[in-house]
Amino acid sequence: MASLSLADQLDDAIEMMMAQPNSAPPKMDLNIGELLGIAAELRLIPDPEFKVALKAQLLGAGPALPVVVHTIARPGGNISPGDTNLPRVVLPTLFGVDGGNYPLQRTNFALSMAMHAALIVVVVLATLRAGKAVHPVGSAHSVLLTYASPYLLPPSIHESRGGGGGGDRDKLAESAGRLPRVEQEQITPPAVVLRNEHPKLVAEPTVIGPPELTVPPTSQIGNPLSAILERPSNGPGFGGGIGSANGGGIGSGDGAGVGSGHGGGAGGGTFRVGAGVSAPRAIYDPDPDYSEEARKAKYQGTVLLWLVVGADGKPRDIRVQRSAGMGLDEKAIEAVRQWKFEPAMKDGQPVAVQVNIEVSFHLY
Amino acid sequence: MKALRNDIDERLQVEAARQDPAQFAELYENNFERVYAYIAHRVPNREEAQDLTAEVFHQALASLRGFEWRGRPFAAWLLGIASNVLSDRWRRVIGQAEVATEDVGQAGIEDPVEQRAMLYQLVDRLPADQRQVIRLRFVAEKTLREIATQLGRSEGAIKQLQWRALQNLREQLRSNHG
Repeated sequence: MASLSLADQLDDAIEMMMAQPNSAPPKMDLNIGELLGIAAELRLIPDPEFKVALKAQLLGAGPALPVVVHTIARPGGNISPGDTNLPRVVLPTLFGVDGGNYPLQRTNFALSMAMHAALIVVVVLATLRAGKAVHPVGSAHSVLLTYASPYLLPPSIHESRGGGGGGDRDKLAESAGRLPRVEQEQITPPAVVLRNEHPKLVAEPTVIGPPELTVPPTSQIGNPLSAILERPSNGPGFGGGIGSANGGGIGSGDGAGVGSGHGGGAGGGTFRVGAGVSAPRAIYDPDPDYSEEARKAKYQGTVLLWLVVGADGKPRDIRVQRSAGMGLDEKAIEAVRQWKFEPAMKDGQPVAVQVNIEVSFHLY
Repeated sequence: MKALRNDIDERLQVEAARQDPAQFAELYENNFERVYAYIAHRVPNREEAQDLTAEVFHQALASLRGFEWRGRPFAAWLLGIASNVLSDRWRRVIGQAEVATEDVGQAGIEDPVEQRAMLYQLVDRLPADQRQVIRLRFVAEKTLREIATQLGRSEGAIKQLQWRALQNLREQLRSNHG
């Protein structure tokens, strides 16, 4: 009973020390004083849970320490640091369990919750408001139109459907005559004046054109548009053929066709796709930007461009065939100017062809 | 001879931890109470002591590769870090370095820190029921009545367990010092 009395005195002193750590200890038995000194040192004894958690964290296996996890002892049970079967409660002080190791601050918690809720509301409202203010997003889609239709016949001086020309650098203009047979390929270019009387391989002279273009056989080959009848001449052009330009055709154009155009065919202008002329293929085709003016006006439209895809695969002579306005034409041209193509092919050779590109501008 | 063996063991532990941070566990176990004891009596509460202790060990682990063995115990290096951490803490709190660093001697660690660290370790060696009462009383800061209710025992029994636990700790401290 004596020790019980001493135990009472000791616990009273401990209780006082815990309540007022800085107060002077009361006068007491020396034995109790020693034990109270030990108890005072134990007042800040480390939490074994903290030691375990810090070790796990240092060795890369534990959760972040700020998550406070307390162990609640079961009635009648023993606690040991290695006991993993104990129930665990997250943030016990918040919900008032575990007797409160340190004072509850529910006011602070409520204030924090209110501030977070307000912040979330502000973020949501700002997002909704910003969403309404955003301009509609514009997009453009471009389509290459190759016009794989047959040539229009007969050759016309008003419409461009290809052509050719040539010559052998004669001082005189080419003399008049009829067209040779029109074929899909050319082995021998036509000539009024034969420079080689005894060729090793004899082949009928032809010009390149669509199969629909037929001409009657003739022995007097020449340029039908020429007025020179007196003296035979192949013309001042070069590359064979008859005419004032180059290539193996007849006329003032380039290539093996007939007329003022180029790339074969007849009628002037560029050789178009079809009837032996493959379509060019776009290999780099960036879409245009939407013009700011059209975007603000929420305007949509389609621009039809006419252009020539050269034998080098580059677009040129870009013109607006159907306008959309609002700055969209310029945007379409700006984009198509950057396009790159695999050129159209005729008999294995790259040729220039005219194509259309339709650029559709949409808002969504 | 025993001190020399301890030095060699500790040096091997440090070398192992420098090669593989997973080997830091043994150094941590040997020095946790020491670092905590050094810090705990210089800050106002347990939470802050734990925060700073964690910071010390994190810094130690991060700069372990730069540690050079110069004959001083590894604990002295750790307490040097702790001293800096405490200085930083005081600088943040009151704008000036105020922590006393006299406990961290060049030759080793002063007695008060060692005694507290030993006391903390001795608690782990108490019988389970005494250890449980001590932890609930001083870590959880419960009254004897609350402990009695929690453990389903009488308040008198808990009081006796507390008494015996403190007596045990005193005997252990005396025998270790003797």
